[in-house]
Amino acid sequence: MTLFWKWTIAVFLVLLLAAFLVLCKMAGSPKDAYGMVRYAFPHMHRGTLKVGDDAPDARLVALDGSDHFHIRERTGGRPLVIIFGSYT
Amino acid sequence: MVQIYNDYKDHADFLTVYVREAHPTDEWQMKSNVKDDVCYAQPKTLAQRVAIANDFIKRFNYPIAFGIDDINNAANDAYAAWPERLYVIDESGRIAYRGGMGPFHYDPDEVRAWLAARYGAVKHDPPPAASSAPVASLGSPK
Repeated sequence: MTLFWKWTIAVFLVLLLAAFLVLCKMAGSPKDAYGMVRYAFPHMHRGTLKVGDDAPDARLVALDGSDHFHIRERTGGRPLVIIFGSYT
Repeated sequence: MVQIYNDYKDHADFLTVYVREAHPTDEWQMKSNVKDDVCYAQPKTLAQRVAIANDFIKRFNYPIAFGIDDINNAANDAYAAWPERLYVIDESGRIAYRGGMGPFHYDPDEVRAWLAARYGAVKHDPPPAASSAPVASLGSPK
């Protein structure tokens, strides 16, 4: 193996280790870093919406589990603040 | 967000949209959720999602209007909402504010600022010392 490839591999491994440490710091622990990469990153999307765009519509289910309504049914009269989130 | 809702509900409408779980037991569970007894597997059916949403409402006596994203995650996909994100839609149906992706860029104070710019600021006394009450992502008192 040439010196070039030894250095290339060494730099790659150092960068990989640095990325892992940054993830651990962000997530809290190595286990959480794994969780972030395995379960969070695939679902995190920046999206393309921007201020001034028409608000997309989507059908939502009411708390009774059977009734439905659309987000756009709630817009028009006054500003609508939408809070997206989950329990956990 | 509940405090902001209470401050501005006479001027704006509020809608909570419950999307797929962020830290379910079968994915990336957080220690804080175990401590707060918020332990749910990722719903695979709409009925499971509805059940968790109702648990949340009952536990926190949550006052804000609530809708549940269908199991095909249509609302989540349309708004790039997961794990949490805030929007303000103006009277013409256009996006007036788009918050950052949670949790790192989820900032209710930006929504408060948007509302305050229109309807005036609502001032509060400084909050008391930290409470030990459980904190859910949707139930943040901010």
